[in-house]
Amino acid sequence: MPPPNPTPKKGPPPDYKTIAAQFAAAKRAKEVEDADRKATGVQQQHQQQHQQHQGLEGEISERERRRARLETARRKAYQARWAWTAAFWVWLLCVHAVGIAYFTSGFLLTRLVLEEKSACDVPPTAVNTSSGGAAGVVVDLLPAWEGKGTVEGGCWHPRTFDRAVVVVIDALRYDFTVPVEDDELFHNAFPFLWETAVREPNRAFLRPFIADPPTSTLQRLKGLTTGTLPTFVDVGSSFSGTAIDEDNLLMQLRDAGKRIVHLGDDTWEALFPGYFQANLSRAYDSFNVWDLHTVDNGVMEHIFPLMERKSEWDLLIGHCLGVDHAGHRYGPSHPEMTKKLRQMDSFVRDLAATMDDRTVLIVMGDHGMDSKGDHGGESDDEVEAALWMYSPKGIFGRTKPEYATPPATAKVRPVNQIDLVPTLALLMGIPIPFNNLGRPIEEAFAGAAGKSWANLAAAERVTAAGIKRYQSAYFTARGIEQVSGAGSPSELWETAEALVSKGKKQDWPAIFSAFAVYQAETLHRCKALWARFDLKNMGIGIGIMALGVVALLVYVSKGDEDDVIDDEELDLAEKSLELQGITPDTASTPADTLDKSLVSAALVGALPGFIGGVISSFVSGVGDWYRGAGIAALTSIAAVIVRMYEAQDTVLRVLPKTLWGWMAVVFTVSQSVGFASNSYTIWEDSILLFFITTFGFVSALSALRLPSRADRYLAIYHSVVFIVLGRVASFSKLCREEQIPYCTSTYYASATSSTSAPWQLLIPFLVSAILPSILKAYLQTTRSYEGLAPAWIGYVFRTGLFMSALYWLLDAADNGNWIRGLPDKTLKNISVYTAQMVLGLAFVAGTTAFVWAPPCVSIVTSASPTQPSRAQVAILGYANAHGARYLLLPLNLLAACILLSKPMGGGVLGLMAWQMLALLEILDLNQLTTSSPIGPVMLAVLGTFHFFKTGHQAVLSTIQWDAAFIPLFTIRYPYSPLVVAFNTFAGQILAASAVPLLVLWKAGPKRKGLLESVSRALGAFVAYFAVESLATMAWAGHLRRHLMLYRVFGPRFMTAAVVLLVVDVVAIVVSLAGVRCNTMAIGEVFGWAE
Amino acid sequence: MPLVDPITMSSSLVKGAAAQAQATSSKAATVTSPSSTPLHPVQTKQTPLAQTARHALPALLAGLFLVRFGALVSDPVSAMTTALPVTAALQMSYAVLCLPAAGSQGAKPARKPRPGEKKRIGAEATGPNAFATSLLSLLLSLLVTPFLHAALVLFGAPFLTHGAHTLLCAAHLSLLALFPLFYVHGVDAAAWAAVGGFSAPFDETFGGLVGGAVGAWLGAVPIPLDWDREWQKWPVTILCGLYGGYVLGRVLGGTLLWGKKF
Repeated sequence: MPPPNPTPKKGPPPDYKTIAAQFAAAKRAKEVEDADRKATGVQQQHQQQHQQHQGLEGEISERERRRARLETARRKAYQARWAWTAAFWVWLLCVHAVGIAYFTSGFLLTRLVLEEKSACDVPPTAVNTSSGGAAGVVVDLLPAWEGKGTVEGGCWHPRTFDRAVVVVIDALRYDFTVPVEDDELFHNAFPFLWETAVREPNRAFLRPFIADPPTSTLQRLKGLTTGTLPTFVDVGSSFSGTAIDEDNLLMQLRDAGKRIVHLGDDTWEALFPGYFQANLSRAYDSFNVWDLHTVDNGVMEHIFPLMERKSEWDLLIGHCLGVDHAGHRYGPSHPEMTKKLRQMDSFVRDLAATMDDRTVLIVMGDHGMDSKGDHGGESDDEVEAALWMYSPKGIFGRTKPEYATPPATAKVRPVNQIDLVPTLALLMGIPIPFNNLGRPIEEAFAGAAGKSWANLAAAERVTAAGIKRYQSAYFTARGIEQVSGAGSPSELWETAEALVSKGKKQDWPAIFSAFAVYQAETLHRCKALWARFDLKNMGIGIGIMALGVVALLVYVSKGDEDDVIDDEELDLAEKSLELQGITPDTASTPADTLDKSLVSAALVGALPGFIGGVISSFVSGVGDWYRGAGIAALTSIAAVIVRMYEAQDTVLRVLPKTLWGWMAVVFTVSQSVGFASNSYTIWEDSILLFFITTFGFVSALSALRLPSRADRYLAIYHSVVFIVLGRVASFSKLCREEQIPYCTSTYYASATSSTSAPWQLLIPFLVSAILPSILKAYLQTTRSYEGLAPAWIGYVFRTGLFMSALYWLLDAADNGNWIRGLPDKTLKNISVYTAQMVLGLAFVAGTTAFVWAPPCVSIVTSASPTQPSRAQVAILGYANAHGARYLLLPLNLLAACILLSKPMGGGVLGLMAWQMLALLEILDLNQLTTSSPIGPVMLAVLGTFHFFKTGHQAVLSTIQWDAAFIPLFTIRYPYSPLVVAFNTFAGQILAASAVPLLVLWKAGPKRKGLLESVSRALGAFVAYFAVESLATMAWAGHLRRHLMLYRVFGPRFMTAAVVLLVVDVVAIVVSLAGVRCNTMAIGEVFGWAE
Repeated sequence: MPLVDPITMSSSLVKGAAAQAQATSSKAATVTSPSSTPLHPVQTKQTPLAQTARHALPALLAGLFLVRFGALVSDPVSAMTTALPVTAALQMSYAVLCLPAAGSQGAKPARKPRPGEKKRIGAEATGPNAFATSLLSLLLSLLVTPFLHAALVLFGAPFLTHGAHTLLCAAHLSLLALFPLFYVHGVDAAAWAAVGGFSAPFDETFGGLVGGAVGAWLGAVPIPLDWDREWQKWPVTILCGLYGGYVLGRVLGGTLLWGKKF
């Protein structure tokens, strides 16, 4: 308790040992004095006063020994209790992981991969038509050509080219290649493709090239080589790349003895290991988005020499990444993008000049990019790439005169990316890969005059036959009947075949369009078919999550009144009992055994479930061994719920009893219900602001009920601060596509950029100047700015913030090339090392300091105002001993997150820290710290709110991959994913690490049951995320046929699931571990409270 | 030997805030506890005219709102501007006809007559002049409007654009929800603390405030929906919620909930 008017002189700089020693000395002196006084009270009745005094001295030393024993026992008991609590949380993490994994396995699309390969001498037309049964069917529409059935002549169709050069310009959006009348930096910089297509229509054509989402490069390369539709689950493997074992273009070429050379993006090497000519190929790191030039320069350097030696290869793949990286790093609207596109323009110009009649040049984008230059989703800008084919031979034609000019926008006459597969296969004379679903591109087979309908129809038919063969094989493998009847693919096939066998004089255009209709319908059906969900697994996943939520809610509502009440009288009595040697059984209070019994119930419950699951999967022969885990989770949760039910009277206690409790429920539930609507999911950031302001207003009004006027003003002040800061933070926005035009992005310099504006660079400097002072002010209200706090917050933390501000200044200088004449990479080197120092300060030095820090208290001695002869000892910061010290831990994380969150995000996180402190004060003044779920829920709301305010949305394309390069030069595992995680989930991580503060703030060293209260607060906090996770899961499952599934509901579920796991891990690794450290440190100095 | 504070020799220092609060409050010269004088629910006047007006006016308010709804949707600013004097007139006549003016209620004697009112009305001795009080309340309601505007912005209303929309919405909120309270309570701090802290008993004025606030709060719910309806534009839904909530709250507060507390 701080004295009302502290004018004490400070002692020497306190450290851990001296504080403990000072405190012990002061206490001993006090005890002796106490005993003296007691003794003088009974002095009259006792004659042997001297003896008694001696006896007292002996008693005191005996007490000291007893106390030491007691302290050790208590520490041990605390450690054991902590271990059981942590075990409970690990169990919960497992339950969540199993639930999410189960749902995901049923939700993310699965497609059966067939092993069959197409063979050169077995055209699919032969197989299909013979099964038709009719005699005299036409196997081939074209008259036999020389070398038919061989690669040299053309397996299924006459061969056109010997060689192909495929140049993939990553993220080449269609509008980059066509003339657009505006001043955008990314328009009209790459005119060569359009020019040639207009000027020499027989030699070149340009068409929009639509990607099937997800638009990540790895997924696109799979589609571009196999001709199949991607499945969503593969998107996760984009970081590690897995070899393709399906039939594909490269496999067909390799098996035909062709030589393939690859230059550029090393994703190809991961997908096609051992395919490429090792002596000619060059692979470059694909994820170094900071580097705009290495890959492109490498491709350009090596591709031209190979053009002189065309006899040494048959397929040459060049994959340029510069445009994609410029998009990721700067956004499309940046001079670097213009430069990059101009460079590509001259590159393709030069390359086209080296082509000969036997070689075809294909330039394409594998996907587009959104307005900020990112990709991964399925918005129009992301899927609209460009395709350009060129050959000096002049064989390309247009079937209609109006097709002569390339489409002005990507909405007109687009081709699917999978269409490249049959086109290239037929042009090069190899068989079409077995799993292909695409169709030949018209221009490539229509002949120079655009009248070769026979050729076109033959190509279309052989492709359609391949599709039909694949479909029947697929349905056989899955054991499903193909649909028949009007409008079905099989009926369309019969119609088309009927046209063929009608007579000698064929109606080629009709045949062509009949097979085209068949292909389109089949593709449509396949897309629907592979959006097939495993409802059973999804159901089990939802069940596990729902039961987990119930268990968590019961755990949270458990024993509000079991909280140890701070009764000084009781404390006193107990203490004296203990000192007399009567040690109460410290290990048998109900709270102690709860976690222990829950964990044992969980284990006991899991066992039969696991065994049963494994046995049943063996017996049924399905072989999905992981079923055991799901059933084990279910039985385990059931056992835990039953155990909790036994330990308390009624489940109805889950229901809130106060206005605050209801507010927590309303916030959580209404948001979760809102996830059923795409609008509420899209506008989640505004809704969270609405909740934050609502809480602030209610707390300000509730402050009017406080009895003390000072408290009233304080509570209103903190509420206003809480609201206003939230509104200020809300000006930092990164809009998702669906919010436009009602939202303007402010996170970066402009909506089409991913760099910060110059004024935004000031923000981190402001944060480093202001934030430590604010922290100081909040600590000084309890006189807790003592111990390590002044040095750590005032100097170390401030230095860390200043250095991260410096980092962003250097980064901007590097990006904008402000300082000319510096050696290459100088600024990059300096900035990376600066960032590494900040992270070292936050994580290494910060953790060490937190573990070893003394409590933030100071012991001062002064003369007693009443008896000047007697010395008085006061402990500054005593009342907030737990909270002030624990605060250092979230601050370390905060320093790291501010560095990793870009200038705007750093400012927002600074506001968040301030808001959290205001929240702590509000809760403390309204006495809501331990009993109400509103505190944890508001922290969760704050964390989620700041997830949006640090430049994120619940869509894949807003992941700031470039954050991986803040402290590193290249991708390094496991650091790069960790850095990206810290960037993405900074808000939630900070909130999770701050949850113990709800309990510890303004808790003195003698508070009991802190661990249990913290665990319950964490429970309420995690419950918010678990409910969101469950809701998004249920809605995504329910709306699985919704148009917006992959744009809105799927990504939101994935965000919620990842956030839940992140929050679980942070709760264990940071919050619980931090509380243990903190309690040990306080206990060592002040003695164990429990 | 328990741990005690070495200065005060008391061991009641576990929660610093509580102890601090005690210290401050004991030191503070004036401690006003809002619950010291319980607030009585406001009784409407019993004259036939007052009773008629009491029932007719909310219906009129709601009816006029419904009539003007189309205009509100097509041009919110002009509709709200023209509606403002009408609403003000209805509220003033409601106050004058049905409500006891501040300082006139026997159960709640005005301890401190408001400055400005004192000279003109105090001399006439029979209580405050209803018209003057209603004019003053109107003035107060208008003075409070910018603060309500700020509150709406804090809840997420546009900051730089739609200024007129938000301000007019705040004016309507002030006229409906706050004006009757100004009329019956004046600027009595204790009464307002009770109203603000939701510890006041329900009556027509307080019911109107709660209903209007909750209605306006709920009015924000349909805004984000992608239904592309004209009426989703700012601040039509808020105004709908406000008028609906206010009328409902006022009627319920005057009847079913009268005298009840939270």
